[in-house]
Amino acid sequence: MQTNFSIAQLADPATAEAESILRKCVHCGFCTATCPTYVTLGNELDSPRGRIYLIKDMLENGRDADTQIVTHIDRCLSCLACMTTCPSGVDYMHLVDHARVHIEKTYKRPLINRLTRNMLAMVLPYPGRFRAAVTLSKFGKPFAGLFDSVSALKPMAAMLRLAPGSVDGKNTYTLPGSFAPEGTSEKAGRVALLTGCAQPVLDADINRTTIQLLNRLNVEVVLPQGEACCGSLVHHMGREHQAHDAARRMVDVWTREIENGGLDAIVITTSGCGTTIKDYGHMLQRDPDYAEKAARVSALAKDISEYLTTLEMPAPAIQPEMTVAYHSACSLQHGQKVKTAPKDLLKAAGFTVKDPPEGHLCCGSAGTYNIMQPEIAAKLKARKVANIERTQPDVIAAGNIGCLTQIGSGTSIPILHTVKLLNWAYGGRRPAELDAFVPTAVNHDKPVLEAAE
Amino acid sequence: MSVADLVKPSVLEPTDEQAVAALFQDGSLDGLPFVIRGGATRPIGKPVKQPHHVLSTAKLSGIVDYEPAEMVMIAKAGTPMAEIEAALAKGRQRMIFEPMDYRPLLGTKGAPTIGGVIASNASGPRRIVTGAARDSLLGVRFVNGTGDIVKTGGRVMKNVTGLDLVKLLCGSWGTLGVMSEVTFKVVPEVETEQTLVLHGLTAGDAATAMAAAMATPCEVNGAAHLPAKAAAKIGAFDGHSVTLLRIEGFENSVKIRVGKLMDILRSHGEMTVQEGSASRQIWRDIRDVEPFDDGTMKPVWRVSVAPMAGHQLVAALGIDDAFYDWQGGLVWLRMDGDPEAQKVRNAVAQVGAGHATLVRASVEERAKTPVFHPQDAAVTKLSEAIRLRFDPANRLNPGWMG
Amino acid sequence: MTGIAMPRPDAAVLSRRDEHISHLKTLLGPDGVVSDVNELRAFETDGFTAYRFVPMAVVLPQTTQEVSNVLRYLAEQKVPVVPRGAGTSLSGGAIPQEDAVIIGLSRMAQIMDINYQNRTLNVQAGATNLSISEAVSGEGFFYAPDPSSQLACSIGGNIAMNSGGAHCLKYGVTTNNLLGVTLVLIDGTVVELGGEALDSAGYDLLGIICGSEGQLGIMTEAVVRLVAKPEGARPVLFGFDTSEAAGACVAEIIGTGIVPVAIEFMDKPAIDICEAFAQAGYPMDVDALLIVEVEGSDAEMDDMLARIVEIANRHDVKVVKESQSATEAALIWKGRKSAFGATGRIADYICMDGTVPLGKLPYVLKETARIVNEYGLRVANVFHAGDGNMHPLILYDVNDPVEAEKAEACGMDLLKLCVDAGGCLTGEHGVGIEKRDLMLYQYSQTDLDQQMAVRDAFDPDWVMNPAKVFPYEARGNRQGASQPVDQAA
Repeated sequence: MQTNFSIAQLADPATAEAESILRKCVHCGFCTATCPTYVTLGNELDSPRGRIYLIKDMLENGRDADTQIVTHIDRCLSCLACMTTCPSGVDYMHLVDHARVHIEKTYKRPLINRLTRNMLAMVLPYPGRFRAAVTLSKFGKPFAGLFDSVSALKPMAAMLRLAPGSVDGKNTYTLPGSFAPEGTSEKAGRVALLTGCAQPVLDADINRTTIQLLNRLNVEVVLPQGEACCGSLVHHMGREHQAHDAARRMVDVWTREIENGGLDAIVITTSGCGTTIKDYGHMLQRDPDYAEKAARVSALAKDISEYLTTLEMPAPAIQPEMTVAYHSACSLQHGQKVKTAPKDLLKAAGFTVKDPPEGHLCCGSAGTYNIMQPEIAAKLKARKVANIERTQPDVIAAGNIGCLTQIGSGTSIPILHTVKLLNWAYGGRRPAELDAFVPTAVNHDKPVLEAAE
Repeated sequence: MSVADLVKPSVLEPTDEQAVAALFQDGSLDGLPFVIRGGATRPIGKPVKQPHHVLSTAKLSGIVDYEPAEMVMIAKAGTPMAEIEAALAKGRQRMIFEPMDYRPLLGTKGAPTIGGVIASNASGPRRIVTGAARDSLLGVRFVNGTGDIVKTGGRVMKNVTGLDLVKLLCGSWGTLGVMSEVTFKVVPEVETEQTLVLHGLTAGDAATAMAAAMATPCEVNGAAHLPAKAAAKIGAFDGHSVTLLRIEGFENSVKIRVGKLMDILRSHGEMTVQEGSASRQIWRDIRDVEPFDDGTMKPVWRVSVAPMAGHQLVAALGIDDAFYDWQGGLVWLRMDGDPEAQKVRNAVAQVGAGHATLVRASVEERAKTPVFHPQDAAVTKLSEAIRLRFDPANRLNPGWMG
Repeated sequence: MTGIAMPRPDAAVLSRRDEHISHLKTLLGPDGVVSDVNELRAFETDGFTAYRFVPMAVVLPQTTQEVSNVLRYLAEQKVPVVPRGAGTSLSGGAIPQEDAVIIGLSRMAQIMDINYQNRTLNVQAGATNLSISEAVSGEGFFYAPDPSSQLACSIGGNIAMNSGGAHCLKYGVTTNNLLGVTLVLIDGTVVELGGEALDSAGYDLLGIICGSEGQLGIMTEAVVRLVAKPEGARPVLFGFDTSEAAGACVAEIIGTGIVPVAIEFMDKPAIDICEAFAQAGYPMDVDALLIVEVEGSDAEMDDMLARIVEIANRHDVKVVKESQSATEAALIWKGRKSAFGATGRIADYICMDGTVPLGKLPYVLKETARIVNEYGLRVANVFHAGDGNMHPLILYDVNDPVEAEKAEACGMDLLKLCVDAGGCLTGEHGVGIEKRDLMLYQYSQTDLDQQMAVRDAFDPDWVMNPAKVFPYEARGNRQGASQPVDQAA
């Protein structure tokens, strides 16, 4: 696509990068078809192609962001389905990142919007604060309906509705330490596991089962000292400095471990975080002190499913006889291009795996999206749940806490992290989520949508 | 008997396109309308009032270009179908839309021409899968009502250069222009064909069976149902209804697909297979409406509806003189005396969208009963506006389409 | 690029912009109208990005009634109207003009009804082509026309451009698979043309609507024909040392009486581009590649393939490679269907769409190479060989004005080459603005007069998509067809 930047504009490396991204776009429009907001709202401005155009125009003309462009960029889920679709290789992720930074710098949001965003940024990444907030939210839940009636307060209502009934407290699996492999032979690897910030509050069992599984597979797992939020949340708000500070801090944490004992991988069980950590190398590319270290960290970052496929798996300990609908989190399938590993693992473990229709579409969770854009998120959730239920699964598996919370709030089918099923299949305890599951006769009438390779 | 034969109008036989065009400027013709005549084998439409001239395409004849490797033939409009079919047979090719020959049904004598086929959009049983004449037609040269020589379309399969006047001309019964030359797609002749015959089904069950057959990957390209009375008129059958499904292609492939189809339709009762020339004859008879080739002028309707609506229409009318092509969507109806136009057309409306054309009727009947199905007011207005853009002085078969 | 002139915006229309927008908002609500100048820019072009004009407004109706209300108003006010489906046109069919209102169908994208026994499906115009096949796939059916943009392009746009695709060699193009449309006429009247029956009474108005490029009215719904899926389908790759050999092989396959479902051609640059995107396993050591697809049961496909291989051997085929799984077959098609977009990874391009008689393929390929070479440009050829529908992609740098001019001139020469070879300007992309000024190269003034006369019958004031299809020099003194002026693109 033709671009129109001055030499002076292109002197800024970030602008130059944006320009080179824009030049690849041929405006073919393929991306519109797989964009969740376009299929929901039917307006090109809420599609990748429309946003690319809005961004291009804003940057070329050196304009400050205005309400219109902020509206359309805010509606983007950053699911990156467009990048999977795009034949031209347009790096939409970094373009929209750049636009968000530009918005953060040049646009003053309305007060309530600012307060909500600040609150999320101050609470969610800090497990202590988040735990307290969730406990308090119990008292707020009855007021959700009230907040709904005021447009600007809808995010509050959404937040209250999403808050879980109970929280998981701190335990050994959320505190720094090292977990030795169970085997007696030479260990199969040494990995750092991202503790995470919101996930352990919502479901500490995910990392617990991950550690148990890895230990059983003869892998040493460390939870390094000094971890904090990976910066994903503020990154998506366009708060570049905060995000980069968070990234540098985490790079330091892992670098210490790399240089002190060595790491085969940095294992991540929340794919939303994984996408950001894998991008540290890019985020810090212009920081001479960190560029190299960050690239090394990004190269080591692996989703748990990716890492497991590098290990030799034993024969499953059980025969689960269970049909799993695998929900592919956007951050995994589009952000990290991890598409088949989780399904391959589940199949190898003996589960029957189904691909729900429209698997490329986001469930509406998308970090804090379901709080900031509750109406669109609710439509996407309904669509996602309907698609999943069409496959008539016994249980739903996914690799991202956001999706688990979002989809779980819309269906009575048990939903849990993929790793919990795998841990069970390979000798761990049966996940508590399955307590509700009563095996029924297999329904052979309905055509079965087998998972694609 | 063609309309033009009723009295003795002058018959003009221009020998080329320019000569056709010149007729529209020729003051000695008094600006009278022209009845366009090819082989005069399909007098279907409202007779043109006197006085008028007859413009015959008899001398606009001959194949202009035919290259089998390109699957295209160009022929002048007055070229007899027999000549075209002979040339195609030599090239081991055929017209995929199976144009019907109206002579048996209408008792006409002349030699049907390619221009007539196109002007009437004549299409046989294969229309259900591979399209009508309009779908094979690639280009047309014609002279419009003001004497302009116009070219539209071309000779290549894919062409979206400008408005597709080719489609308008096809099936316009000479009311938009005098076609001088047509270009159409031809396809390789198939190695063989077989017809699977289901015996004794009711029209409703036949519709279900035909729909099931069409939903298979067996590539059925003919699906017809003949109730007992109609079946008796076709050589191969007697005594009971037959439901016919045709499969064409390379020999092995045909065998495999017929076998598969029999498996799929097993629950529909007794089945037999007709092969080769016997199969070809069956479909030729259906194409040419042989069941109603009775030497009479009893009114015959050609009704086009959704495939599953065909038998409902016949049931609503309470007529037993009917048979079905196009998976049940093309219904041929024979009436006893009166065409009962209103009743037939009401029944069409009752079973959903569609249209009924009074294909066979006396000249007197055609003068008083709309031969073509009346359309809604807005479409009629639009169609008339279009017609006037081709023929502002009403010189081309005026009134023919109602 | 500035070669194609666009009409001077009507000052009288523009001066009443606020009034029009406010009225449109009363018809559709504020959410149904885009009027912010920065937002409107996103609608300034489609898949033919060389030309761009910001429209006066964009409206996004949700029902046929809303389309009718809007169209009636705009026509009464003599405001030019440009319909837009998914905006994927490669000929500029959805490019607006500055005094125009775009009527976007993107909010009318539902499948309304499916009848498997009649094999018909009723769909709103904004639904994507692929969504139709996806909706019926579980029952063993598909919708046959498959333009490469089928993932995104709308069925309404397909009808407007009579879109084709790779598989129309066997199944035909849009017009052969369309049974009916709901059409909103310029005065707001809603008519149904065709329907579930195979043909309709009177003139074939459906036939004239198909391929009319949004100039006769606005389609809001369509009834399309469903086709039973074949038992199996197998794309096979045939690699040749020269484009000429591949071209000759195509001509012989067809000439022998074998009609595969699809025969697609790629030359070396196209192979490189597509392989880089799709990793489909295309052979990289050949200069020309045919993707030949056969259908049916295994036995049928084997039989057909044996016949094709025999012919290919006569043309010194270097590589014959069958897809071994459904995944591999899907990748082969993914690569082919992404060819245009994937070209964006290496260069800007204009995509031509001329069609030539099959026998002329080798000649036209050679001439194409010569002409492009003379302009000092590069070309990638990827096209539907089975029906002679060429798609040379002229590669250039859009930010280099000199090269852009050259590319445009080169494109015009290639289209003339197709017409000279007995073909036409456009096989499936439509005339749009791109080929508008070449229409007199293919047609005489009289030919175009007849087409324009038909257009007049639908839209006497030329309100609908007026800058497209018909060259200004051929329009005479028609109203609404105002004098064009050059616009800086």
